[in-house]
Amino acid sequence: MAAPIVIVRNVGAVARTVFRTSRALHKVDICGTYDRQAISSQSWRLQTPATFHTASVFRSAPAITVIDEPDTLYQKVEVLVKGHDKTVLDSYEFFATLAAKELGIGLGKVYEPPKHIEKLTVLKSVHIFKKHRVQYEMRTHYRCIELSRVTGSTVQVYLEYIQRNLPEGVAMEVTKTAIEKVPEHIQKPMWDDAPKEEQASQSGEK
Amino acid sequence: MSASTMCTTALSFTRTNGLCLGNYALSLLSRTATYSTALSTNNGKGFPNRPIRGPRRPKRESGAPRTEKMLENQDWTAVYPSAAPFKPSAVPLPVRMGYPVNRGVPAEKKGNLELMKIPNFLHLTPAAIQKHCDALKPFCTEWPASLDSDAACEEHFPIQLESKEFVSAGSSLRNPKTRVVTLKVKLSSLNLDEHARKKMVKLVDDRYCKETDTLTIVTESCPLRQQNYDYAMYLLTVLYHESWKTEVWEAEKTRADMEEYHWEDSRSQKNVLDTLRRMRVTSEGEEDPGAVREELLGQPEVQEYRESVTRLKNEGETEETMLQYREAVKKLLNV
Repeated sequence: MAAPIVIVRNVGAVARTVFRTSRALHKVDICGTYDRQAISSQSWRLQTPATFHTASVFRSAPAITVIDEPDTLYQKVEVLVKGHDKTVLDSYEFFATLAAKELGIGLGKVYEPPKHIEKLTVLKSVHIFKKHRVQYEMRTHYRCIELSRVTGSTVQVYLEYIQRNLPEGVAMEVTKTAIEKVPEHIQKPMWDDAPKEEQASQSGEK
Repeated sequence: MSASTMCTTALSFTRTNGLCLGNYALSLLSRTATYSTALSTNNGKGFPNRPIRGPRRPKRESGAPRTEKMLENQDWTAVYPSAAPFKPSAVPLPVRMGYPVNRGVPAEKKGNLELMKIPNFLHLTPAAIQKHCDALKPFCTEWPASLDSDAACEEHFPIQLESKEFVSAGSSLRNPKTRVVTLKVKLSSLNLDEHARKKMVKLVDDRYCKETDTLTIVTESCPLRQQNYDYAMYLLTVLYHESWKTEVWEAEKTRADMEEYHWEDSRSQKNVLDTLRRMRVTSEGEEDPGAVREELLGQPEVQEYRESVTRLKNEGETEETMLQYREAVKKLLNV
C-alpha cells in the first residue's frame, strides 16, 4: 500500500534528523521501538528504491518524543526552483502549494521570475567557413514560492518532502530568514558592570 | 554434413565478429539448422523470419494491459506509489505526445519515448499528497499565534539571519554560497544612547542604511555556516560594546566630523549676532557683551532663524525649507 511505504520512507529520513516544537519550547525527536543496529540496517534498506517491505521493517509506529530546545522561527522561507521545462515547473508549483496548504503553512507570494536565456554562437564547420555559424540557447525558467512565518520543525519537514520529490532536471535554492532575540550579552554595555577591566584592543570590525 | 558445414560457417561468422560461443552454441546451431528449412519466409507481423544465430529464447506473448482491468474508483496511489517512469500499460489515459508527422496526429502512448523522458507527477496526485501530508503532520509545529504580523516579529525578535541552501544535480554536492550568513538588525532595537549610536554608525560605515535604520553584516570568511554565524554575532557584540566606550581622542571631534548640523557655535550664529549687535549699537551705547549676547539669542526671531537654518542644513534644500528661511530672515531684519 502506498501510505505505509511513504511513512517508512519519511521516518527513515527523519530518524537521522532532529525535530523541534515551539509550543512548550521543546524539541521533537523520533524514538522507535528498535535498536540502533536495526536503524542502520533499516536506513540502508530504505535508501534502495525498489525494495520496500513495510510490515517486516517496523513492528509498531514510531513514537514522537519532545526535547528541551527552543525551535527556530523563520519569518520568510523562499523556495526558488529552476528548470529548463516550464510545464514541469508548473506541475511542481501545484504540488508544492498543495503540500504547504495541507501542512498548514502560510503562503506568501507565488510568482514566476522572468526566464533567462543564455545564447552561444559557434562555427558550423570543423575547419574554415567562418561565415556559417550555428546558434544554441539554454533557457532557464524560474518559479518562486514564499512561505511566511514557519517554525523550524515544519520547515524541515516541508523542505525534506519537497526536495525528495524534486523532479529530474530541476534545481532548487532555498533562502531562509530566521528571526532571533537580541542575545543577553548585547542587552547592556559591559563597561557598566566591570569598569576596572582593561579596555580591550581593537577588534576586527572592518 | 549440412549441419556440420553450417556449423563451420556459423563459427567462422562469429569468429569474425569477435564472439566465442562454445559447445552450447554449437548444439543450438545444429538444432536451428534443421528448423530453418521448415519456416516460411514471412510471418504475420510482416518481418521476414531470419535464421536465429545465437542463444535466443522464443518471445513470450504479453498479456492484456493493466489498464483494461482498472476500475474508476481504484486507489491510484497503489498504481504509482513513488516516482516511476511512464508506463503506457499502467496509465489508463489516452495520452498522445509528439510532432504530428505528415499532417497526422501526435504519436500514441505505446512505446512513446517522449512520454517516458519527461518527468511525470503521476505519483503526486492530490490524493497522494493529502495522504503524505497526513502522515507528516505530527512532525510539524505551530507558529506562535501572538506573532501574527511582521511588526510583532520585528518587535520581539529584532535580529534577522539569512542563509541559503541549494539542491541540484552535478558532479559536486557543495555550493560555496551556502556558507554566507547575512545578519540584519535595526539599531533602534538595540540599547544605545546618542553617542553610542553615532559611534556605531561611524564604525560600520557602509553597512548601515539610514533610510531603514538597518545594520547589515555579511560574513563569508569562515568555511562553515555555523562558524560564520558565530562570527557575525561576535562582530555585533564587539560593535555594541565598543560603541559604548568613549576614547580619549573622541574629544577632538571637529565640526567636519559631526553627522548633523548644530547652529550653536557656528558661523551662522556668529554672523547673526554681529549683525544684530551692529543694528543695536547704532541706537544704544556700550553694554556688557555677555548679557547682550544672551538677550539677542533669547529673541524669538533668532530662535526661528536658528530652526530654519538647522532644518535647511540637515534636510536639504526643498521649497518648504527655503520659504521658512526666507520668512525667518525677513522677521529678523525687520524687512
